[in-house]
Amino acid sequence: MASETKKNIGDKNEPDLRGTLVSVMFVLAFIVISWFGVLGIFLSR
Amino acid sequence: MHLHRFEKIWLVFGIGSLVVFMLILGYGAFWKGTHPQSHGQIIDPNNVEAYDAFKPENLGVNKVDDKRYVINVVASAFNYDFGTDKDGNAVKTIRIPKGSNVLFQVTSPDVVHGFNIAGTNVNMMIEPGYVSKMETVLNNPGEYTIVCNEYCGVGHHLMFGTLEVYE
Repeated sequence: MASETKKNIGDKNEPDLRGTLVSVMFVLAFIVISWFGVLGIFLSR
Repeated sequence: MHLHRFEKIWLVFGIGSLVVFMLILGYGAFWKGTHPQSHGQIIDPNNVEAYDAFKPENLGVNKVDDKRYVINVVASAFNYDFGTDKDGNAVKTIRIPKGSNVLFQVTSPDVVHGFNIAGTNVNMMIEPGYVSKMETVLNNPGEYTIVCNEYCGVGHHLMFGTLEVYE
């Protein structure tokens, strides 16, 4: 109980960014895949 | 400064992909010679014939060497001038053997035009007063349409030509 209280104090005001991380990774994947897709078209023509 | 652990993760990935993109672009620009089509080479738009490549007898396909060609074109509203054939008729289709190295040199005496060989990387803006150049290797046989992709006036949609790459 005591350690949990300590942890909660350490994490105070720390927002939960798991959803943000997943969203950012989706955007990153989209940008990287499109970028290499366009590069592939450029190189193959 | 305190950063959330997740923020560090996406900053590393974001900056990392930027670095990768810039390295690939830099390789293309400095080792492979990719660059914009206008070299800042200027020409008098009212007298393009003063430039050797755009004299009427030099327009169209010029064979330089085996598998090396130079194609000179004057793009004007609303036509691509590829020169004339033996009978004096305007050339509408240019023919190039497959696998040739081709240098396109294009200029405009009037307004801004486009020079896009649909389905290839040849895509240039043609500005009056400038010579646009692009060198390419045509490896895929077929018939390609050359289109103007910069709105140049009422006849813009009628401005096209044909490039045939034959075996």
